[in-house]
Parts: sequence; structure tokens; C-alpha cells
Amino acid sequence: MSNFGGGGGGGERGGKRGKFSRFAAPRKLVEPEEALDYKNVAYLSKFVTPNGKIQSRKRTGFSGQNQRILAEAIKRARIIGLMPFVGRG
Amino acid sequence: MERNRTYECMCVLDNREVRKGWQPLKDAVSALFTKHGAQVLSSRRWDERRLAYPINLQLRGTFLLTYFKADTQQVANIRRDMQFSDSVLRSLIVSCTEVPAEAYQPEAEFDVNAVQVEDIRSAAPAPAPAAAEESAEAEAPAEAETAPVAEEKS
Repeated sequence: MSNFGGGGGGGERGGKRGKFSRFAAPRKLVEPEEALDYKNVAYLSKFVTPNGKIQSRKRTGFSGQNQRILAEAIKRARIIGLMPFVGRG
Repeated sequence: MERNRTYECMCVLDNREVRKGWQPLKDAVSALFTKHGAQVLSSRRWDERRLAYPINLQLRGTFLLTYFKADTQQVANIRRDMQFSDSVLRSLIVSCTEVPAEAYQPEAEFDVNAVQVEDIRSAAPAPAPAAAEESAEAEAPAEAETAPVAEEKS
């Protein structure tokens, strides 16, 4: 009596594969093209939304390690006044 | 236990102080490191640019990038002295594994008098948004009175 089948009739997102990530194809990781350094403001600005928020891994495509380095670099750039906390600056 | 490490320090310097003289200011900042027994490996002007947000009412600043070797216990003291310094608007000290080769290159000369000083008080307010607000208020005063809640949501 398990209910792991996803309801049998498929989901709104296209059935079993859409519901369970283990069936989905592994996502290709993106390598950063330039150094993820707080001084490299032009490159870091690509990973910030118009409101100034750091984009998620889903959007950047980075590995967990690179995403953490990216977030740290953006926060450092904000502290030193190179990047805005809110907005495009 | 003493343990020396290499650090990178980025300082935002007040352009009003920069205009008074670059070398004395640079020496004064270097003295903040040497005062606590640190060894300054490299100190050079990184850039002069507009800040993303005003710091101490200043809209522009000169960035000084310094690499130094210091005892780990002394970094907090250096950081504290930076905060007390009037010429340093903001500072960031991070540890680094190695000093890049470009840090040892000679500093490019620049004209101190050409450095712009922009103060938030002297900066003229932008006329365009104010005019837009006035026109928006003139257009829809009645709507704001009748349905304020709906306007907030939209």
C-alpha cells in the first residue's frame, strides 16, 4: 500500500519523471569563465538579479562549491562598496 | 602561539584625503599595518571609481590594495585601527594563499588633482523622477482616495 507511484495518472509536470528527480537526467554543471573574485565586479554582476539578489544554483548552473565561492565574492564586493546591496547601483 | 599568514587588504580611501597627497596617505595606511608588526609586501592603487552606495556621504573613492604578512592575532587590531582612521572609508581584510605577480609591478602614476570628489550633499537631485512623481500625483488623486488598498497591492 505504498503511495510512491505519484497517483498513477501522471502529474501536471509530465508524469513520474517530472516528479522524481532521481529519474531525471543529471544537470550539466557550468564552470565559471572568469575568476570568482570580489574585485571582478563586471563578471559577478552577471549573477545578480535586477533587484540585487544573488541568483540561485538553478540559474547559474554552478557546482555547490563554486556557488558558495560566488556568493562569498558578491558579499565581499557589496561590503567594500563595489556592488550594491539592492538594485543595479 | 604566533602564526604568520598572508592577507589581502582592500581599502576605500577618501578622495578628499587623496587630493592632499597620495604618497603621504599611502604611508599613513601602511603605518597602520607596520604598527602591529605586519610586513607590507605590496601596496598599490587599484582603482578610483564611483561607489555603489554612499559611504560617509562620499560617492567616489580610491581603492588601495595591500598585501601583507602578519600574525593572525594582530589582524583584529589592524582591522580596528582601520575603522578608527578618518581617511579610510571602508576596509576588507581577507586571507590569501599567494601574492599575485601584478601586485609587485610599479604603480601607475596619476594626477592627484584630477581625482573627483563627489559628496552626497553637493550632488544635485535628479529632476526626472521628481517630475514624474508630480505628474502621477496630479493624474490620480481621486483614485488614491477611493481605493487606497487596491493601489497598494498593484
